[in-house]
Amino acid sequence: MPEHSSPPLWERPIRFVTFRVEQLSDTQFVYLLLSPVFLLLSIIAFWPIVSTFEMSLYADSLTDPSPIGDFVGFANYVDLFTGDLNALMPRPFFSLENPLQSALIVTLVFTVVSVTIETLIGFGQALILNEEFRGRKWFRVILILPWAVPIVIFGMMFFLLFNSTVGFGSEILHGLGLISTTPFNSTQDSLLLLIIADVWKTTPFMVLLILAGLQSVDRDLYKVAKVAGASRWQRFRYVTLPLVKPILAVAVLFRAIQAMRVYGVIEVMAGCNTVPSLSCMVVGSFQSRYYGTASTIAFITAAIIGVMALIYIWKFREEIA
Amino acid sequence: MLSTLNKWFERFAETSFTNPERIYRSLFYFGTTIFVLFTLFPFYWLFVLAVTPNELISNMGPFPKGFNPSIFVTVFEQLPIHVYIFNSIVIALMVTFAVITLGSLAGYAFGRYDFKGRQPLMLTILVISYFPPAAFLLPLYRLLTGNLELLGMATPDLYNTPWAVAFPLSALALPFSIFVLTTFYQQIPDGLEDAARVEGTTRLGALYRVIMPLSLPGITTVGVLTFIIVYNEFFFSFLMTDGSAENWSPLVWGIAGIIFEQQYTTPYNLMAAASIIGVIPIAILVLIAQDKIVSGLTAGALKE
Repeated sequence: MPEHSSPPLWERPIRFVTFRVEQLSDTQFVYLLLSPVFLLLSIIAFWPIVSTFEMSLYADSLTDPSPIGDFVGFANYVDLFTGDLNALMPRPFFSLENPLQSALIVTLVFTVVSVTIETLIGFGQALILNEEFRGRKWFRVILILPWAVPIVIFGMMFFLLFNSTVGFGSEILHGLGLISTTPFNSTQDSLLLLIIADVWKTTPFMVLLILAGLQSVDRDLYKVAKVAGASRWQRFRYVTLPLVKPILAVAVLFRAIQAMRVYGVIEVMAGCNTVPSLSCMVVGSFQSRYYGTASTIAFITAAIIGVMALIYIWKFREEIA
Repeated sequence: MLSTLNKWFERFAETSFTNPERIYRSLFYFGTTIFVLFTLFPFYWLFVLAVTPNELISNMGPFPKGFNPSIFVTVFEQLPIHVYIFNSIVIALMVTFAVITLGSLAGYAFGRYDFKGRQPLMLTILVISYFPPAAFLLPLYRLLTGNLELLGMATPDLYNTPWAVAFPLSALALPFSIFVLTTFYQQIPDGLEDAARVEGTTRLGALYRVIMPLSLPGITTVGVLTFIIVYNEFFFSFLMTDGSAENWSPLVWGIAGIIFEQQYTTPYNLMAAASIIGVIPIAILVLIAQDKIVSGLTAGALKE
């Protein structure tokens, strides 16, 4: 019967492809599956990283129609740290005289302080929540909500909470002597408010992660420890902590990398001039068409994150692996 | 008064020695209540400011100073917030589609095959996810605004189209999705696929008929997470568009635009109302898909 021997026309390409795929070895098949991803990533990830590095080796071009000037090697990197590029930027990149005005120090302070607070509160709250209680499902929604708030709205929320005209938030903190009456005019005050905002947004996320870790701990271990006469503190110290440590290590690394990139919330809440984070500086010099400076700062940011991650992974290699 | 307090405290201290569980119980209620209040207050605050008429907003206490629900209509007259939200949803759907298609191919390969180069390739993807968006900005901006030549042809100018935001964000969302999907594909038992293959199903047939249906929960999880991540993103959404609603600018501009364009008086109530409206689509998604979000977030973050 002819219908059997020749399939309908539209099926032919499908059959052909299926047949050809069937002929491939496992390795060839795997690379076929991976090729679209790596093709896309090479255009929108690998190439931009290489290109950013290349651009960082060229001077800014202030007069030319093309924004890229002469090849200068690593001069941009040297100039950033010695302060020779500061004239181009609203705030210095690194300066020991004005530590809280310089991008590198502001970003590092923000990262260390906010991640430490978030981890401590997150761990405490996760320990408290690690038991059955009514309304657990609703509580989980509350935990996800801050994570799911768009960054621009998150920035707006805290702008409205601490704006000096609106009052309330800024009045309470001013009453406690923590900030001045116009906090968004001062880097120090804005940095404190930024940390409070970040703690609000990410602590619930930390709780969620650590809670998942706590719940993967075998309950029988606690029973054994209890029978053996371990106190609550000892059960925490010798059962919970060692088992949760790997998850805690990963969560902290994950958060620190995110914190090093902070940008959007600053732009909306306090403005990049008040709190000059590293990403703020990249955007600022990019918008003024200082392409060489912008790519240098971008690459230094990436390098700092990379070194941080490597040291951290090395230090906690047993927990993470 | 002080003596009753003292007595109460003594009794509390006594019972806590005899019954330590009770201390933990009260600690639980105390800590959790503070935590919930701290988390929900900013949302409540948006509502307070939205319904207070703007001329009354100064030195606010914790309650509204008036009741003006019509602001939620005024917002739409003042700025096309619904268009911004629509643009954001279109961009988020585009990225979600790309990430699910490409990510599940890669996740399937990484999750079910052990091949030479698996470890280095996964490590490469992990390293990309460590790079700050700022490190991609300049080249991508020049590429997508048509300022580069590729093989003798100028690249198309995609600025002010959804593609200019969708391309960079796919790169940002892919690594995370690949890791979550790899975990999901690993969990599908080997036997099912082997059985289908033994019965003569082709490789692609097994992928389509056995693996795809089984991995549907994983794919929905990744879809929901990607959608939320893209809808919430700031960096590229802000820098790859010019801010006007008709030029596909996303929600970022709808909200931040009010700050940048304010003239004599700051429209605090408008800012708050627009923020509430912008958060509604995500809040609904969180309510519907909370289980997926939790499983995806914990799987993804802990695998990476």
